[in-house]
Amino acid sequence: MDERWRLFVDLDEPPSAAEQMDRDECLLEEVLDGAPPALRIYRWRAPALTLGRFQPDDHVDHDACDALGVEVARRPTGGRALLHGADLTYAVALTRPSDVRDSVEALYAHLARALIDGLARLGVRAEVASHDGDPGPVCFASALGSDLRVGSRKVCGSAQVHRGPAVLQHGSVLLDRLDIDEADLMLFEDEMARTTARGRLNDATVTLSELGAPTDAERVAAALIDAFGDVLGADFGPVGARLRPRRERLTST
Amino acid sequence: MEYPEELKYTKEHEWVRVDGDRAVMGITDYAQDALGDIVYVDLPEVGTEVTAEQSFCEVESTKSVSEIYAPVSGEVAEVNETLQDAPQKINDAPYGDGWLCTIRMTDAAEVDRLLDASAYQQLL
Repeated sequence: MDERWRLFVDLDEPPSAAEQMDRDECLLEEVLDGAPPALRIYRWRAPALTLGRFQPDDHVDHDACDALGVEVARRPTGGRALLHGADLTYAVALTRPSDVRDSVEALYAHLARALIDGLARLGVRAEVASHDGDPGPVCFASALGSDLRVGSRKVCGSAQVHRGPAVLQHGSVLLDRLDIDEADLMLFEDEMARTTARGRLNDATVTLSELGAPTDAERVAAALIDAFGDVLGADFGPVGARLRPRRERLTST
Repeated sequence: MEYPEELKYTKEHEWVRVDGDRAVMGITDYAQDALGDIVYVDLPEVGTEVTAEQSFCEVESTKSVSEIYAPVSGEVAEVNETLQDAPQKINDAPYGDGWLCTIRMTDAAEVDRLLDASAYQQLL
């Protein structure tokens, strides 16, 4: 049976990276307070490096971030550093469905069904990644069961935070690549370590552009929205209103 | 999975072992399995006042951050510092080396409202 969901599509005039994280966390708090589930899809106003909730700040080369115009923000979710800017980011806030087994992995698998379906609508055959070892400081340099891969390369990384029965999962679909990557923005022991990290990152990831899939943000967003509707029964309301940017200010100040 | 008879449990999957006015606590075998590999624990500071059923620390596992709730009210008397370097102890021995902290209870009667092993297992 379909369930009423809230939809926020923020593709134009994105706010600061910190505000993006505030908005996502706000959705989580609202769900915890009894609001319907929410899907938010957004882009970034500038390259932004987000860090996992507990990731040490001293991994970050703040001078390099400043010099390259990269905002730095901390996610409410777990995981490691992720560079945004050529991706489309999604946030899902919901109460754990009663028919989903009570584990982190099961919830990732539940939401992955919609993400995989959305990517399939773009001609991309993705599947859930298996654990491939120590994640290190950079999110996309390794794959976990929370991530989606095409072949052996990661195309979508996700992370969660749980508060009581409410969960926020957000993640990033790689549309294309920027001129810089996480290896330019993190601190390493020496240049060889940086080069190794960059190579590992490039080898471990693939973008929609490289897969020959559409990279237009509105089209990718529409595919994900349709998939959440069809696979998870999310009822976002009248079709014509779906992609209109919502100016509704969330409660965070 | 194991649920020792001598422990008390919460609906949020914490366990408690009472020792005088102190309650040693951690998360259950079920919880550690559901969370997956635990990579970080954000422990409370000794002296922190905690309230039963309120969140007071967090654990990170498999790119997921989850809250831990205080099973009883009181003051954090001791924390398991070894988890900073070895958080996987929670997965390996949730009722042993993976204990999280000790709470000096302000209302020992709260323990009576917790679940015994049998009642807890019926929740799962």
